[in-house]
Amino acid sequence: MSNFFQLIKNEQMKLYNQKATWIMAILLVVLIVGIGTLLKIDDAITGGEGPTGDNWKQELQQQNEQLMSAGEQPPEIEYPGYTNVEMNQYRIENDLKPTPYNAWDFVRDNRDLVALVSLFTIIVAAGITANEFRWGTIKLLLIRPISRAKILLAKYVSVVIYALVMLFILYLLSFLVGSLLFGMGSFSPTYVYTQAGEIKDAALFSFTVSQYLLSFVELIMMATFAFMIASVFRNTSLAIGLAIFLMMAGSSIVLFFMEKEWAKYILFANTDLTQYMSGTPFVSGTSLGFSIAVLAVYYVVFMVLSWGFFTKRDVAGA
Amino acid sequence: MSEPVMQLKNVQKTIGKKSIIKGLNFDIYGGEVFGFLGPNGAGKTTTIRMMVGLMKMTDGDVIIQGQSVKNNFKGAIRHVGGIVENPEMYPFMSGWKNLVHYARMMPGVTEERMKEVVKLVGLEKRMKEKVGKYSLGMRQRLGIAQALLHKPSVLILDEPTNGLDPSGIREIRAYIRRLAEEEGVAVIVSSHILSEMEMMCDRIGIIKNGELISIQTVHDALQQTDEKEVSIEATPVDQTMVALQEMTGKEVNRKEELLTFTVEKEKIPSVVADLVQKGIRIYSVNVNRSTLEDKFLDLIGEGAIE
Repeated sequence: MSNFFQLIKNEQMKLYNQKATWIMAILLVVLIVGIGTLLKIDDAITGGEGPTGDNWKQELQQQNEQLMSAGEQPPEIEYPGYTNVEMNQYRIENDLKPTPYNAWDFVRDNRDLVALVSLFTIIVAAGITANEFRWGTIKLLLIRPISRAKILLAKYVSVVIYALVMLFILYLLSFLVGSLLFGMGSFSPTYVYTQAGEIKDAALFSFTVSQYLLSFVELIMMATFAFMIASVFRNTSLAIGLAIFLMMAGSSIVLFFMEKEWAKYILFANTDLTQYMSGTPFVSGTSLGFSIAVLAVYYVVFMVLSWGFFTKRDVAGA
Repeated sequence: MSEPVMQLKNVQKTIGKKSIIKGLNFDIYGGEVFGFLGPNGAGKTTTIRMMVGLMKMTDGDVIIQGQSVKNNFKGAIRHVGGIVENPEMYPFMSGWKNLVHYARMMPGVTEERMKEVVKLVGLEKRMKEKVGKYSLGMRQRLGIAQALLHKPSVLILDEPTNGLDPSGIREIRAYIRRLAEEEGVAVIVSSHILSEMEMMCDRIGIIKNGELISIQTVHDALQQTDEKEVSIEATPVDQTMVALQEMTGKEVNRKEELLTFTVEKEKIPSVVADLVQKGIRIYSVNVNRSTLEDKFLDLIGEGAIE
């Protein structure tokens, strides 16, 4: 076991000695700070001000009446961030006073950047084995008294560590930058959202944490896919290209086959687990449990292929 | 001789329907430098890759210190250090970090041992530099350093002098000899530079089309015959040619002013004395060593790759 630890240390050393790794981390930091600054300068993007005064209930009520009476014509409304009549009603009924845009909202919005973390993780996952072949170092790596399976596991675990670290940086830095620019607000404001047409509320802290963790599932699935392609074909570019293409085209693929009975078994119909938490499921006939089962099957297939090819195939030719 | 350190037993490799290696059998002993010689495409690299487990054997086995590479890879490979093909290292890390990387993969490699190995290959002053800035020669040294970290009993070096300057070649050669003679390491060297092999190796295995066609002891290969090929530059050429034909009773080749003939080593002084007596003016006399290269070419013939 102790030598497994050494292998992880090796993989980490190789990863963090490459410039690309740092460039990716710096890009993430720059983006978080940049987006924060942009939102600070132009607060229309964040939905403008909310009705946060003492008589917020009357104001929301008034806005609701305006929204309903206007019909199809979009009215001149005071609070563009609060245009969902049902959600406004829910707030009034449950005494959930809107809070001004703060660090938690910034964290929630930055969940979109998980796509960027996925992209970076795919790059790392694709490179971690295929680069050894490209550099030729695989030959020196595999002539040690350590099984190939263990070497590959160390690489996989390193990818997961990398993804977790990047995700943690994203969350923490979003919170810090958000606090600095927009203030922290209360410890954890309440967030109102719809889940399959039903309106619900949750503390923003737990809401964001679970959103990030659910996104992590999608991230890991795509990273594992890239890892598998790299291990089977030993080609970094192919693995990165294919994984990113599928990540981008995933939802289109599902849409294309929407009518088919087997559409719900497509990986991409199930990767986004946040669909069960907020919003509506992508394909009918799926549920959280179903998606987890489908993902598990795909995951096992990816792993078996990665390990099968890496441990069995000859290392031939330069 | 002692027990063999490494044994190849009917090692075969078939890729698709093509038989690449057709059953190699030979033993390598501690303290010897074994040369692995063959034209490109003969199967040297494939054989080396099978020895270190990078490629699977279709049949047969390689036994290292009594352990089967096939059935007990970890037990066998721990006795092996090697460079397979080029000394490829991580270019974005320093030489030292590269060594740390490999040291972590072997049990019981201390920092003292690492420093010792660095000193041995003469890279002390360059260890903090990135390997990307190293010359091929320096990478070759670093490659040897990583192969020696765990004090292997078999050292496998594929083209170890490739890319080294003449003084570097001499150093590495001396170093390989010392490892074999003083530390009893079995060194397997593959090379296509024949003169290199002659100077370095004790035995040379010649492989052709996946078959071992001969194992030569370097000593025999060079001094098997007493007959030497001698070239003489002398005037007048015609007279010399006739005189030589009379004396040796054999054919004499003429290439412009240079005459070449074969004669036993013992007879060379008398041949020269006779020529002088005949008033022939001799400018040079050279004994052409029958080198490994001739031997090698004799053995493998022309157009060896099938």
